[in-house]
Amino acid sequence: MSLTGNTDGDQPFLISVVPPGRRHKRLAVLILLALISALFVTVPFAHIHMAHTEVFVPAYAAAVFVNELITTTLLLVLYTAQRSTAILVLSMGYLFSGLLVIPWSVTFPDVFAQLGLPDTGLQSTAWIAILRRIGFPLFVLGYAMMGDKALSIRNPLHPVRRTIIASIAGITLLVCVFSWIIFTSDDALPELMRDARNVTALWKYVPGTAVALYVIGIVTLWRRRHSMLDLWLMLVLCTLLFEVILLSYIGAGLRLSVGWWVGRFFGFVSATVILLVLLSETTLLYTRLARSVSAERFTRESRLAAMEALSATIAHEVNQPLASMVTNADAGLRWLQKESPDLDETRAALQRIVSDGHRAGSVVKNIRTMFGNGTHERGPVDLKYLIDDVLRCSESDANFRFVSLRTKFDDSVPLVTGNAVQLQQVIWNLTANAIDAMRAVKDRGRVLWVKCERLDLDSILISVEDSGSGLAPDNREKIFEPFFTTKADGMGVGLMFCRAIIEAHGGRLWTADNIPHGTIFQFTLPIDDSYL
Amino acid sequence: MSQDHGVVFIIDDDPSVRESLNSLFRSVGHVVHTFESALDFLDRERPNDSACIVLDVRLPGPSGLEFQRQLAGLGIHIPVVFITGHGDVPMSVSAMKAGAIEFLTKPFRDQDLLDAVHRGIELDRECKKDQAVLNDLQDRYDALTLREQEIMALVVLGQLNKQIAFKLDLSEVTIKAHRAQVMRKMKARTLPDLVRFADRLNSAILKQ
Repeated sequence: MSLTGNTDGDQPFLISVVPPGRRHKRLAVLILLALISALFVTVPFAHIHMAHTEVFVPAYAAAVFVNELITTTLLLVLYTAQRSTAILVLSMGYLFSGLLVIPWSVTFPDVFAQLGLPDTGLQSTAWIAILRRIGFPLFVLGYAMMGDKALSIRNPLHPVRRTIIASIAGITLLVCVFSWIIFTSDDALPELMRDARNVTALWKYVPGTAVALYVIGIVTLWRRRHSMLDLWLMLVLCTLLFEVILLSYIGAGLRLSVGWWVGRFFGFVSATVILLVLLSETTLLYTRLARSVSAERFTRESRLAAMEALSATIAHEVNQPLASMVTNADAGLRWLQKESPDLDETRAALQRIVSDGHRAGSVVKNIRTMFGNGTHERGPVDLKYLIDDVLRCSESDANFRFVSLRTKFDDSVPLVTGNAVQLQQVIWNLTANAIDAMRAVKDRGRVLWVKCERLDLDSILISVEDSGSGLAPDNREKIFEPFFTTKADGMGVGLMFCRAIIEAHGGRLWTADNIPHGTIFQFTLPIDDSYL
Repeated sequence: MSQDHGVVFIIDDDPSVRESLNSLFRSVGHVVHTFESALDFLDRERPNDSACIVLDVRLPGPSGLEFQRQLAGLGIHIPVVFITGHGDVPMSVSAMKAGAIEFLTKPFRDQDLLDAVHRGIELDRECKKDQAVLNDLQDRYDALTLREQEIMALVVLGQLNKQIAFKLDLSEVTIKAHRAQVMRKMKARTLPDLVRFADRLNSAILKQ
């Protein structure tokens, strides 16, 4: 029995992992068609010059800058969750492109004239545009070729925060250096612009290169087409492709023409697509999460109510014979203490005590059989397989809490005899507790070790170790008592059942301190000679 | 049988609890009658001695608390001791408010239960004695003629013969004769005696 149906997805809800649904594919195709028709509608008017529209350039630049920066941030968040270098590369692409918008708009002829900035020359804007146009698809290509599983979540020491800071600093420095070179050596750079609006022959090579890069990117993404993010990135590259076609071929490189502005619009769309996808998916996920949390609470409450009703019934069933035993004993004593002890009455009272005792015993036995269903079905259990199965199911929870899961298996561990479902339940309980225990850990790695080794000739030792804050000494034994819990939402029966299960298997379950931090839960299981 | 022995009515649906209580109460000399439900109790004939009811809260049919109310409604004023498997504070409060002697959680100390039942029987005996006195007074009062009842009412209000004679438009001599008759029939030696009797009767009428 597997604990969940989902076995292949580590993070089944991240857009960088989940395959695109039919809804997404259809929407992407619709948007693509709309963009293509916009492209064709523009063609007849592409050359019309719209004078003095430079004033819109700063607004355009600001919008693109903000959108790309937000996209960068959201992608970085995705990176912290998934720790995939590919996502980091992509987010840096957005940062690179977003940052370059600043020098591009500042150097745009006639736009910031009033600010009295030093003239950086005619070529700067065009060179920066080239950097953006060639740079971004290179980052996307990097993303597409890396694959998004470059880093395993099992590596707890991967310095996420440091990597992010270093990457941002690196990209910012890169943009500054490029801008500086372009600003200061305007004359040394090959000429791209004849004047503020018209391009030179050299410029003709730029769109060709860009188109080639876009096409390579689209094809690479198409061939793996593996996540929702891939799908929408293809759309982004398509819009960029259209932008180049509009700017360079249909608009013939004429700045501030209708074709040029529509191209800019396409550029804006490309800067926004991923942002919208990320935002809408996040909101959708949030709604689902809220719904499932309330559903979970409902289940928990009803389970609690059932437990209460059950325990009240059990208490009554056991209390009734108990009360009558006490009363019978009291009556018997009183018959004996009389001046002439009445032995017949005493005997009758004792007789009733005996039958009440048997009655109480049968109540307890009934409860046992009620809860002990399936305990008799025992068979060979492969602990390694069992632990792996549980951990695979816990992985998404662990990722969500930034806990890295590690295992260490002794090869000499033989099969054991037991009830697989119950043993699975024990490991499941212990790992869930361990992940919970590390919730508050901020200053060190959150590592969960599950080890399985041969203890001695006739037993196996399984340890579940966390790096949480450890157990209070007072609670060390109490946690195994029924209805004792340290969690706000716990029922306090999990560890009690775990211990009962392990003891029913002939093993022991106990806790120890983990050095330097956290708790170890350990249990032994006896080795069955027939599996050696 | 000593003075404080009485009848104990046990109402519990669990036969083994019934049996054990039966034995316990018999061992201290009480007469015990057991019933398995409230209806059983109402259906069967019961001796009219001073008694106490030991009632389980959880009963088939009407619950113990409902039954307690039902008894009061029927004018059966036998004291009740509750026993319950689960001590529930609000339940015990409402039982005590409705006049229960005690509310005990199973398993209880036998002495607690015996004490409570003794108290209940004592209370019932007082109550029955009281009732007997009252019944006697009522009989005496009923033996008075209408005129005598009228005059008694005015006498106990402290009115003088003269005032009564004026109010009823009778001669003072007639009033005197009636008054002597009232004192004799009510077996009151002095005026304060008569006033006390009148008070008892009044409060009994008010209670009803």
